[in-house]
Amino acid sequence: MKKSPQKQKLEQMLHSSRIVAGGFMGTDTRSIDEIIDADLARLDRLGKTATEIAQKMQQITDAACRGLGEWVKIDDRRQAMVDEAKGIMVCPWPHPGRFCKRLTFVKNVDTGTQIRWSDLNIHLIGEHGFFEGVGSEFRIEPIGLVELIFDI
Amino acid sequence: MAQEILVAVLIVSLTSAALATLLAVSERFLSDYGQCRVLLNDEKEITVQGGKTLLSVLSDNKIFIPSACGGRGTCGLCKLKVQEGAGLLLPTEEPYLNQQERDSGVRLSCQVKVRNDLKIQIPEELFNIREFTCKCAEITDLTHDIKQFRFELVEPDKIDYIPGQYIQLLTPVYEKSSEEVYRAYSVSGDPADKNHIELIIRYVPGGICTTYCFKYLKVGDEVRFNGPYGQFRLTDTDSPVVFIAGGSGMAPIKCILHHMKNNGIKRTAVYYFGAKKVKDMFMQDLMKKFQDELPDFKFIPAVSSPDPDEKWDGQKGLVTEVVKRDLKNAAQHEAYLCGSPGLVDAAEKVLVELGLTEDKIFYDKFA
Amino acid sequence: MNISAEIWQAFVVCVAAIFTQNILLSYFLGLCPFIGVSREIKAAFGLGAAVIFVMVSTCMLNWLAYRYVLLPLNLHFFRFILFIVIIAAFVQFVEMVIDRFSPRLYQTLGVFLPLITVNCAILGASLFMVIRNYTFIVAVGYGLGSGIGWFVAIVAMAGIRQKLKNDRIPPGLQGAGITLIITGLMALAFIGFTGVLQGG
Repeated sequence: MKKSPQKQKLEQMLHSSRIVAGGFMGTDTRSIDEIIDADLARLDRLGKTATEIAQKMQQITDAACRGLGEWVKIDDRRQAMVDEAKGIMVCPWPHPGRFCKRLTFVKNVDTGTQIRWSDLNIHLIGEHGFFEGVGSEFRIEPIGLVELIFDI
Repeated sequence: MAQEILVAVLIVSLTSAALATLLAVSERFLSDYGQCRVLLNDEKEITVQGGKTLLSVLSDNKIFIPSACGGRGTCGLCKLKVQEGAGLLLPTEEPYLNQQERDSGVRLSCQVKVRNDLKIQIPEELFNIREFTCKCAEITDLTHDIKQFRFELVEPDKIDYIPGQYIQLLTPVYEKSSEEVYRAYSVSGDPADKNHIELIIRYVPGGICTTYCFKYLKVGDEVRFNGPYGQFRLTDTDSPVVFIAGGSGMAPIKCILHHMKNNGIKRTAVYYFGAKKVKDMFMQDLMKKFQDELPDFKFIPAVSSPDPDEKWDGQKGLVTEVVKRDLKNAAQHEAYLCGSPGLVDAAEKVLVELGLTEDKIFYDKFA
Repeated sequence: MNISAEIWQAFVVCVAAIFTQNILLSYFLGLCPFIGVSREIKAAFGLGAAVIFVMVSTCMLNWLAYRYVLLPLNLHFFRFILFIVIIAAFVQFVEMVIDRFSPRLYQTLGVFLPLITVNCAILGASLFMVIRNYTFIVAVGYGLGSGIGWFVAIVAMAGIRQKLKNDRIPPGLQGAGITLIITGLMALAFIGFTGVLQGG
């Protein structure tokens, strides 16, 4: 399918390793729209929107920041911790978006499952519905994420 | 019949060839912008072949404008003021510029093509930035995820920097990265040793440059960097100094301590350094040495959550809590912070509580 | 036929090409960029405008090439090759000119030009015009009408798809699936225009 030049440029940016090692697409051969559509369809079945998820992620990150790198209790079932590095990340979409290099680790105390995300992940999910391509370093599986951060 | 086919093919080929020639000729005339002159800050003039973007023209001339996306118009970092000759604002630049910037002629240098003579304004400090080639001389493990890298300068073989400044290391193309990228690191070495630079780098998961430095870079490898950048530096006053750092934030503080020793600066100084575990602590011996050599310097390491089997008789707790407990009143001090943005923010808050005004707090978040 | 009658016919053909015989919605030509670039109104607008321009210009060029090169030499069966070569060369040329003289226009319109080079709607319009034996003026009207028709279709589709963004669509139909269904519905709606024009 033909893509607009803007989309071609965006995909080039996502495939390149300018912003993060290995790029955002991983080994995924689908187009950006296909990846986003497929993930959003999965969320739809779980009854959550990308905006809700991003808001919840941001809440957890904000709470975890107070620990300055130590595990912080979020609620009875979850703990979170942040790990920060110096420098900034920019959003690959063509708009101004700069984020700290901050990783949030979230752990379910009962099951031990753990997921990590960066500040950029929160923005990509909330603004662009993009969970990254399969096989990329910071791909987040929507179903696992929803199960971990929401009580369902 | 054969003749008919031949003529037909010939005519179509001729038409195509004519069109191709037309295109080639028009390209020759349309894409040739000739020599263009770029006047920098009303003083320096460079002559360049037109047709390339301003960003790449400047970097060809060894003027390094910061950019994170490699000239794709995504990061918006390469802004500079074009006084004359840039033409109309492009739709690709619009999202990055506010009204005030638009009015004063700020443009994204990666989107503006050099098509005619230009007059531009760039920050003075960018003029002093040079590109260096160096050889990796030594790699030392400091903790499980922090290493010290020592580089010997090759070309040019000397560097002058103000202690506290940083450089941008160029990561070459390697297995995990198909493009050259720059990443910023504070210089940690002794500024008196002008033939070497030292960096303290912490491994960042998924980081392009740190992955390269930790997993691929070997002693003897040649790398390039440019610099120095940054406004983080020790002031000329006599106020007592408080340093607060964590992790690789050690780098610029160590550099400033070398500087204080070299120049006999006798200011009262106290350095709080935070780590999570005892195994995350490093350079304690060196800091003790500074304590002996500098007239009035105290190093206070703090561990926030030592493992039960780790022996630690120093301060316990988050470094910010230790500062609060130990320093009590900071009204007369100057503070120098270096570390993760969270640490810097938290430390700033504590210092303000201890009576310090914000204009006496200096930090470099690279952000 | 005098000039004013010809212009009137060109007008009728033009309106017919927009509504009753829309090149996209009744012939389903140029469907690929139509689906690919109709997610946002802004991009759809740029691409649509570029199609109008290229469609009119290439109809003129191809009419001249057909009338004065292919017909005299009795090579009308070569029109496919010649037309596509002319379209490609013309688009390339225009892209270069715009890039040189108006960088701003290049960013809004010019970037879409390479996408149009191999757009079958463009070639289709040139071929229809030849098959239907249009005169030059009518051919221009036809090119303009087809271009506007394509423009209207893609902008309308982009508007609908932007509205659809927040709606719940069955998983299997997301993306191209729902777009094709909407295209079909739009085509049905456009059939409603049949009979508006008698002369078309």
